[in-house]
Amino acid sequence: MIEAIGLHKAFGPVVAVDNLSFEARDGRVTGLLGPNGSGKTTTLRLLCTILVPDRGQACVDGIDAAVDPRAVRARIGALPESRGLYPRLTARENVRYFGRLHGLRGEALESTIDRLGRRLEMQAILDRRVEGFSSGERVKVALARALVHAPRNVILDEPTTGLDVSGTRGVRTLIRRLRDEGHCLLFSSHIMQEVSALCDDIVVVSKGRAAAAGSPADLMQATGQSQLEDAFVAIIGSEEGLG
Amino acid sequence: MTLGGAWIVMRKEVVDNLRDRRTLAAALFYPLLGPVLLVLLLTVIGRSFSDRAESALELPLIGAEHAPNLVRFLTQQGAEILPAPPDPEAAVKAGDVDLVLVIPASFTEQFRAGEPASLQLISDESRQSATISIRRARQLLDAYSGQVSALRLLARGISPVVVQPLSIEDLSVATPQSQAAGFMNMTGYFLIYSIFIGGMYLAIDTTAGERERKSLEPLLLSPLPRRELVLGKLGATLVFTLVAVVETLLAFGIVLNRIPLEDYLGIRFGLSGAAILRVFLIVLPILPLASALQIIIASFTRSFKEAQNYLSMLPLVPALPGLFLAFLPVKPSLWAMLIPTFGQQLLINQVMRDEPIASAHLVVSAGTTLVAAVLLIGLAVRLYERETLVFGR
Repeated sequence: MIEAIGLHKAFGPVVAVDNLSFEARDGRVTGLLGPNGSGKTTTLRLLCTILVPDRGQACVDGIDAAVDPRAVRARIGALPESRGLYPRLTARENVRYFGRLHGLRGEALESTIDRLGRRLEMQAILDRRVEGFSSGERVKVALARALVHAPRNVILDEPTTGLDVSGTRGVRTLIRRLRDEGHCLLFSSHIMQEVSALCDDIVVVSKGRAAAAGSPADLMQATGQSQLEDAFVAIIGSEEGLG
Repeated sequence: MTLGGAWIVMRKEVVDNLRDRRTLAAALFYPLLGPVLLVLLLTVIGRSFSDRAESALELPLIGAEHAPNLVRFLTQQGAEILPAPPDPEAAVKAGDVDLVLVIPASFTEQFRAGEPASLQLISDESRQSATISIRRARQLLDAYSGQVSALRLLARGISPVVVQPLSIEDLSVATPQSQAAGFMNMTGYFLIYSIFIGGMYLAIDTTAGERERKSLEPLLLSPLPRRELVLGKLGATLVFTLVAVVETLLAFGIVLNRIPLEDYLGIRFGLSGAAILRVFLIVLPILPLASALQIIIASFTRSFKEAQNYLSMLPLVPALPGLFLAFLPVKPSLWAMLIPTFGQQLLINQVMRDEPIASAHLVVSAGTTLVAAVLLIGLAVRLYERETLVFGR
């Protein structure tokens, strides 16, 4: 359960997030949809406690990020915008490092890594150095790293950027499976097809504000459109084009 | 305060950087630069000095026919009279010969008349390698002048002692150790250099490198307190720095004890195990200072290259006083001990000279350096607690 309550963040004169509120519930996939520069990444960084909001609250499982940021971080697994790995370490060592930072140890940690390796279909590359991995393989390692502590809440910033067709399919399958296991999934995208294919709930972000929120059916009904794409255009398309 | 997280970070950074050739080279290869350079310097300079002191003085001479007695005296005293090059001044300037003695035709006339007979000694005093030859030639000419004046006074019935109001006896207090310490003053410089080079690449890789390869944001997402993150990176930098310093000290120990420097220098000196240990303890407080400084500077930069530019300049700053010390000795005093790295270099020189060290100096030097180190570590932690860290600057 992730809640944004009146979030506001400005960098100097530039307002990145402006009184943004929404919630992402457990067992559902919530998509932040908006054009480039609409404030999606800043919003996710506020929820992950990387940034501190000027006003408003970011809560995860009812814990205020401003009050106990470490507890919030422990409950979130995130694939942030920058998802660099350590090229001189193997995939397993990369994941193991983050497992240890989350307090996992020994046999339990190793079996978790093996399980994630099977789940992400990356057993073959698990003990190879990351140097020279394809971008699809890198995302798999970064996902394993984000999920190593079995977080209840999963935040993914443009997870399929730079992936080929099979990589994209793999990520989508993972998102659905995590949802079915009862996790709370929040991801950002500027790709409409992706959002419509995956999301139970959609928050349309425009200029740092929530322009609309609801299920795809809600959005179509509210705008009187029969296609989701037309609904988006009706909501924000008049102001800015969608990528 | 638990430090379990710092330990995890430190172990990971050490393992990660052990796999990096550049980091390893910096930690293991560069520290040997000082000892190797010292050996070269001592042997080259030592050999040229001892060669000149023991071999016959080569004395190119013009106008030998004007002063046969002087030339005979010089030959008796072991000088080897050589024909002068055609253009003596140019030859001296070019360094072909150390000096040329010119006896003008007027010499015979002036000498016979009992007037000061003028001679010309063409030399280039700025040429270090010629100083011994010049000094020996002057000593010979002074000796001849003294001999002739004594004879002239005796001929007039006056005791030569009358015109010798001073009798100077050279009593040098320089021990072989302190003479050699002239060169050894560079040891301090090279040790400081090792401290600032040993962990340099690791400090860059774990800060600017972390940002450049975009792994900083994922790292900041872990529940690890930022303080432990910084301490872990600092610890890893310290490990590499420590290895470099120990290696440098051992190399100096081997150079100064195992290589027969007395064959070249004519002086024997060594560095005992106890002295090496004392030097190690003296420089120890500099290590956290240097590591914290490197991490702070590298954290402000946007890329590995930029960090490298700044950090490679860093060892020059504390090394400058050390370089001056090699030529211009400063006496250890309390104010000097207040300056981190400068005080330590003075103390190292005292150890090298086998002089007693004032314990107040030791305490002040270690104290101020450690206080500065703690302040810098605090600053580094503050830097990592800022949210703008993730963007750089």
